[in-house]
Amino acid sequence: MEVFVTAVITMAVIGIILGAIIGIAAKLFKVEVDPRIDLVSELLPGVNCGGCGKAGCADFAKSIIEGENPPSKCPVASQEQISSIAKALGIEVGDAVKQVAVVFCGGDHNQEKVQTLYNGVSDCVSASLIAGGPKGCSYGCLGMGSCARACPFNAIEMLNGLAVVHPHLCVGCGACIDTCPRKIIELAPQTAKVHIYCNSPEKGAAKMKVCAVPCIACRKCVKAGEENQFIIDGFNISVNYEAEKLVDTAIFENVKCPTSCLLSETEHLKIEKASKSEVV
Amino acid sequence: MGEVTEYLQLTVGAVLVYNFVLARFLGICPFLGVSKRLDTAMGMSGAVIFVMTLASFATSLIYNYLLKEPYPICGYTVNLGFLQILLFILIIASLVQLVEIVLQKISPPLYSALGIYLPLITTNCAVMGVATLSAKSNYSVGQATLFGFFSAIGFALALVLFSSLRERLELSQVPKPFQGMAIALITAGILAMTFIGFSGLC
Amino acid sequence: MSSSKGLTFKGGIHPTSDGKALSSSAAIQDAPLLEEYQVIIHQNIGAPPKVLVAKGDEVKKGQVIAEAGGFVSVALHSPTSGKILKIDNIPGPMGVPVQAVFISADGEDQWGELMPPMDWKNAEPQAIKDRIRDAGVVGMGGAAFPTHVKLSPPPEKKLDCLILNGAECEPYLTADHRLMVEYPEKVLEGAAILGKAIAVTDIYIGVEVNKMDAIDTLLAKADAYGIKIVGLQVKYPQGAEKHLISAIIKREVPTGGLPMDVACVVQNVGSAAAVADAVTEGKPLIERITTITGLPVKNPSNWRLKLGTPIVEAIKFAGGIVCEPAKIILGGPMMGFAQKSLQVTVTKNTSGVLLMKKEEITQYQSTACIRCGRCLDACPMNLQPGSLSAAIESEKFDLAAKNNLMDCVECGSCAYVCPSNRPLVQHFRRAKAEIRNRSKK
Repeated sequence: MEVFVTAVITMAVIGIILGAIIGIAAKLFKVEVDPRIDLVSELLPGVNCGGCGKAGCADFAKSIIEGENPPSKCPVASQEQISSIAKALGIEVGDAVKQVAVVFCGGDHNQEKVQTLYNGVSDCVSASLIAGGPKGCSYGCLGMGSCARACPFNAIEMLNGLAVVHPHLCVGCGACIDTCPRKIIELAPQTAKVHIYCNSPEKGAAKMKVCAVPCIACRKCVKAGEENQFIIDGFNISVNYEAEKLVDTAIFENVKCPTSCLLSETEHLKIEKASKSEVV
Repeated sequence: MGEVTEYLQLTVGAVLVYNFVLARFLGICPFLGVSKRLDTAMGMSGAVIFVMTLASFATSLIYNYLLKEPYPICGYTVNLGFLQILLFILIIASLVQLVEIVLQKISPPLYSALGIYLPLITTNCAVMGVATLSAKSNYSVGQATLFGFFSAIGFALALVLFSSLRERLELSQVPKPFQGMAIALITAGILAMTFIGFSGLC
Repeated sequence: MSSSKGLTFKGGIHPTSDGKALSSSAAIQDAPLLEEYQVIIHQNIGAPPKVLVAKGDEVKKGQVIAEAGGFVSVALHSPTSGKILKIDNIPGPMGVPVQAVFISADGEDQWGELMPPMDWKNAEPQAIKDRIRDAGVVGMGGAAFPTHVKLSPPPEKKLDCLILNGAECEPYLTADHRLMVEYPEKVLEGAAILGKAIAVTDIYIGVEVNKMDAIDTLLAKADAYGIKIVGLQVKYPQGAEKHLISAIIKREVPTGGLPMDVACVVQNVGSAAAVADAVTEGKPLIERITTITGLPVKNPSNWRLKLGTPIVEAIKFAGGIVCEPAKIILGGPMMGFAQKSLQVTVTKNTSGVLLMKKEEITQYQSTACIRCGRCLDACPMNLQPGSLSAAIESEKFDLAAKNNLMDCVECGSCAYVCPSNRPLVQHFRRAKAEIRNRSKK
């Protein structure tokens, strides 16, 4: 009994003394920290992808609070997450159209001629430095997967020597864009479901020599589509993503692309997946 | 002879022969947790040296003047020895808390360098270990502080060595099954074995 | 000469078979006139020249077809007289399509109006530099860096020394060798003019001692110009400018620095000869000496080729091929550029066209680094190729940059000696490209 009492008393006394000291110290040495930064950081996805242009989610949280960026600048967060942040801070959501990356090339191993034997490092930048890469087309995907390795969300798959973006996985952070030595990856609005999978500025005949699915600028799609839906740039046509009414899959009812480079996302993915299984 | 050996054991022995991490296997969690990069390992080492020295000083004070001998209070003679662990935890935890608060105010740069590691090691087994070991060996306050400081140096040495190894390891092509923590543990084991070479030094 | 072995630098390699014997005794021949030339417009480092001609224009030989597009840029001249067919893309030497002027030769090969010959001994340095720029002279050893830019350092940099590179350390190439043997006066006079342009009297010509005939010819005439001929050890990359400086005047170019940081300018002997032509005769740079060599070539030899000659024609001059080549390289085997098209045309820095047989180019499998350290001994820049490549393979470009990756001259010595066949230089080139890319942002 005696032991019990002494133990309780000693611990209580020491505990009270120490608690008091810490309490006083906490009052004396108080440092103000903005609690909202922690709050916003918690609400952000926390993948630290850098897609917003800031060094990680905590840095982005700080920039939201300082009013530098709207919460919608985060490419990863869902609409609910963004609105909950905005609600918590009492600010505007900001409007940004969700974007996804598109690899503007359809030249996989079946479609595109390989001109040289390359047995160096399996990396797109390395390959592009040696005679411009092994594939015949000097503008197409090199197929060594630098972008796929750079993607923090595993949204890019290498199918039969061609990088293909899975739009439902892509958050549009843009990490892949800089890794591509050919600069053929660009962000397009998520609402755009039809793309022209070619970006070579060469003449149609020159493209046909090295590739089975180039854009030969025949303009069938331009004629079939509405005004302003396509951009004609020399020997290449691309979808105008800033058009008021984006091209949608309805266009395939009126026109069939003779080289099948005008494709819907799903069709493109289907073709590449099928050609992969053929190879294997 | 006796004196010299004792102090050698306290200093060189604590660093090399009875290294806290590699010979006594105390403080393994920070050893594995913050050894991925050399600069964080340095920060952690600084924090550990700081806390361990302070903690061994404070706990040895408590031990030597409160716990060691039966103590007369209001006519009763009480022996508080059995409260050692509880008291040590209480003392160390509040000490670290206090240091953190003070540091944040007085020296923000030092706080941002050590700050995130301080809560990690409040009741770390290495810190508790150094306190109980001093108590067990009946060290005086001076001896205990010295022992705490050099044990922490030993911990820092192991941590810095190991983090350098792991940085180097990251550049190597490790077979898939061994990647990550597996190869880190194997490396730690080999590092511990090399420290066996110091046994018998003092 | 200080010793029979010659001066040298630390590191480097000795390629076992240098293949120079194939073409080193073949005198320089003038190439027959072709029907069409495709002159690549951007032949120099720096800004591309601005095209002055259009489809259908008549041009004379030596007429300016593109003017310098900035300070770091030079003019481009028509290699022959004829008509401009079109301006279109052709495969470039780096594998990417480049713009070229197509010239249909009229067969006359008639000179247009030449620039007046200069009395360079009494000329202003600036006038000489302007002439060199207007004549389109660039570094003809490989980089094609405009010569007049190298001669114009910022005012706070004083120069006291000029070195001409006649080392020609790349295996197989013999173009500079033949130039020194057959036209020693041109080289020496060019050297003297370059010296005048930068007000320097300390002029050296470094030649590897495997070209004793070139050294002897130059020595016999060098005294008249007050130029020193230095024998260099036969070692690759003896001709790299930093290593020439280290071998000849024992100065160390600092990290990230240029030869002008140690008061020195390095020029190729080919450029010196072109300077002599430009200044004394007023002729612009429209042709260069190129070695067409390799085992598949019937008659490996040295040719004076006009700019814009497709290499497929150049190979025909040398008798065509005797067996199927597996690899075609512009330049030497160590630092040259592999080609995938024979339509690539000769530019100002095409020092050689090298064909290799299938047996010569082993398709190897690279294996893990065994940490033997041979690359350390071989690296002429005192870098650590093994650990640099380890850092790059795990995508740690910052670490590689911290360990002075940017000092790498991409000479390929490390990859040559690596017993595990690791593609070290390829990693370095990739990482340098990535680091440059990042720092641009």
